[in-house]
Amino acid sequence: MKSYKFRQVIKENAGINNPVFVQILGICSTLAVTNVLKNTVVMCAGLVFVTGLSNLTVSILRKYIPGRIRMMVETLIIAAYVIIVDVVLKAFIPDISRQLGPYVGLIITNCIIMGRAEAFALSNPPALSLVDGLSSGLGYAYVLLIIAFLRELLGSGSIWGFRVLGDWWINWNIMIMAPGAFFMLALFIWVVKGNFMKEKQGGGASGAPRTNAAGSSPQAAPAGGKS
Amino acid sequence: MSEAKKPSKLKRSLFTIFFMFAVTLVFIAVLSLIYVLTQDTIRLNESLVVKRAVLYVAGLEVPQTGTAADALYRERVVEVKDEEQEVLYYEILAPSGEQLRSYVVPVVGAGLWGEIESVVGVEEDLKTLTGIEFIKQNETPGLGGRITESWFKEQFRGKRWPLSVVPEGDPAGDQEFQAITGATNTTNAVRSILNERLARAEEAIQAPE
Repeated sequence: MKSYKFRQVIKENAGINNPVFVQILGICSTLAVTNVLKNTVVMCAGLVFVTGLSNLTVSILRKYIPGRIRMMVETLIIAAYVIIVDVVLKAFIPDISRQLGPYVGLIITNCIIMGRAEAFALSNPPALSLVDGLSSGLGYAYVLLIIAFLRELLGSGSIWGFRVLGDWWINWNIMIMAPGAFFMLALFIWVVKGNFMKEKQGGGASGAPRTNAAGSSPQAAPAGGKS
Repeated sequence: MSEAKKPSKLKRSLFTIFFMFAVTLVFIAVLSLIYVLTQDTIRLNESLVVKRAVLYVAGLEVPQTGTAADALYRERVVEVKDEEQEVLYYEILAPSGEQLRSYVVPVVGAGLWGEIESVVGVEEDLKTLTGIEFIKQNETPGLGGRITESWFKEQFRGKRWPLSVVPEGDPAGDQEFQAITGATNTTNAVRSILNERLARAEEAIQAPE
């Protein structure tokens, strides 16, 4: 029963409730960091770390956080983890940190993290929340990696910085600019929804994508009183 | 049933404040610890960024590893500082020894969104540029942010200031450089801080003699 729940959470975050191509969250960074595969990997690792641990922390504290200030507490927790990621990157891989520039700091505004903290961690036990955080981070990551792979290949003719296409290849400059990410993401969503998600959409679940283990909406959580 | 006696409003408010305070305190403590532990490494990395930039704009080949770059920097670069220990300019020595080959000048000024920090190499005549590298900038990614692309930086080698701007893609003369399409403000900012700071550096370098 319990492992079923875990599997359910992972499945939802990877597929029918994927943060990027179903909920369309975290698009800002999807557009910004996917022009080179190496940066994308670092960004995704940072995000998985932050979603996982912030979910875990919020979940551990969920019984004590006063309803009125829960957003403040969540933001504080997320910000702290983001700063940790930022500092660690600066110290150990400064080149990539410089290339990612402000986007590492902007992980804090990534809606996926706040969304998972509000919608899931506040109403579920720590272990499950950790898995939810990690898996929604990974759900974000694999989409970004696919997009980054294609953008770097088409835009620079290389993968992970190594030239793989010959001299005959003319780089599609548009691919390494932000608009290229729009096209790629749109195509990706089109392909995925068109080919893999048909039945689910037809089954009437399209209107209510969030049907998680606990499923409490953020407004219904503590908001006013603590009865 | 556990709600039998509800804490008073005042008590709850106090708890709220106390809770926020405590959580903040814990996280700040953890962050401070991490900051203290990594501070030295980060500083070293940052100094290497500047050192590599100086070597690059001087037209020297920049070694891959940090230690090699640092060694080359020690061998070839002399920092000339003012009274407040701020670097006024760098003297680049010829490989054989003491002889002066060129200068590198820190050029800092307002960009469109924030400060643009760069270093610019000039030859001994103080007029001909040997290169430019941007160390810090907050220009719009994809537009003004393209000043860090190598075609933009490389075009400055051999140019003579005062510089003016031609549209992107147009042939640029001896005293001109190509603008970035869609980033007029950034381009103009680069032009004016370059001209202004190089003029000031020329004065500073010539003054003592």
